[in-house]
Amino acid sequence: MNRQTQTFNELDRVIHEPGRLMIVALLFAVDQCDFLYLQHETEMNKGTLSSHLSRLEEAGYVEVVKTYRGKVPQTLLSLTEAGREAFQQYRKKLKKAL
Amino acid sequence: MDQIESLLKRPTAYENIDGVTELNTGFATLGIALFLWLGVHTPEHSIWNRTYAFLIWIGLLFVLSYFGTKAIKKHITYPRTGFVKYGTSHLKRSLWWALIVPPVIAFVVAAVVTAGVFLAVRAQCSVTSALPAVFGLCVAAGYAFGVTRTVRWNALGWKWALPASLLFGSIAIAALPPDLTGRMASGSWMTASYPAESIGALLLCLMLWGAIFLISGGVTFWLYLRNTQAPTEEANEPANADVQ
Repeated sequence: MNRQTQTFNELDRVIHEPGRLMIVALLFAVDQCDFLYLQHETEMNKGTLSSHLSRLEEAGYVEVVKTYRGKVPQTLLSLTEAGREAFQQYRKKLKKAL
Repeated sequence: MDQIESLLKRPTAYENIDGVTELNTGFATLGIALFLWLGVHTPEHSIWNRTYAFLIWIGLLFVLSYFGTKAIKKHITYPRTGFVKYGTSHLKRSLWWALIVPPVIAFVVAAVVTAGVFLAVRAQCSVTSALPAVFGLCVAAGYAFGVTRTVRWNALGWKWALPASLLFGSIAIAALPPDLTGRMASGSWMTASYPAESIGALLLCLMLWGAIFLISGGVTFWLYLRNTQAPTEEANEPANADVQ
């Protein structure tokens, strides 16, 4: 196995999925945002976005806070320290592999 | 990698998605122009020529801008396209750099030019009308570097016309006959210290820039309202979402 293939194999599979990569990259650039913002930026439907967020939450990369904006439920999302570190590592490895 | 970098820049563009940054800039610029106009057209010892009045005026503009922005974001932008908190990330730092550094540079350059003109007047040299053009150049550069970084060019490509309008508008004002621009400040006590045409040109420039920013912000805001869906009373997330 050559070095490039090895580097590709070392990429974080949770982040590497295109939908989740988009979510993590958007969250990396902000401190916090809500579900609606991510839905607007990623153009994913609610179910798909929700499923990706659940996977990221399970991995400990995303923190989810349920709150209310007036009477409307609002889901606030942010990247955890582990999520930030994982994304930075992912970028480094991807750059190296390319 | 380029796509990732592009994604990382998207929240910056979201800051001015509704044109509120430009509306604020236009409002503040016209507010300063109004204060200057009042100072020019009232006696030297009137309240409009006091430093504390200027500071109160600036404070008032800041408070109105701050709460106006907050109200628009809270009641229009966040319910339509979502809430974003920039916090202390590197992005916010770069955003602040982009929005603050260019105007600071513009004011430093303008102050140096003003001092130069003042010295030229004292030395009884002829004063050119280059001041507003230099101002315009700095503001246009500041705008191009700062506010336009928060624009989504694929959707709002027409915004390139704005720095050009700022620049060419300022040059056009600088090229106006001095007696025409001088009429804006004729009879003012300020003309004892500064040439009337420079004061008039500065007033015209501030009004032009304020109007350009307001128009741009207004059009962006209108396009934003037209292209986004009004919020509904129901939740934005699925009630049975896995993300609880």
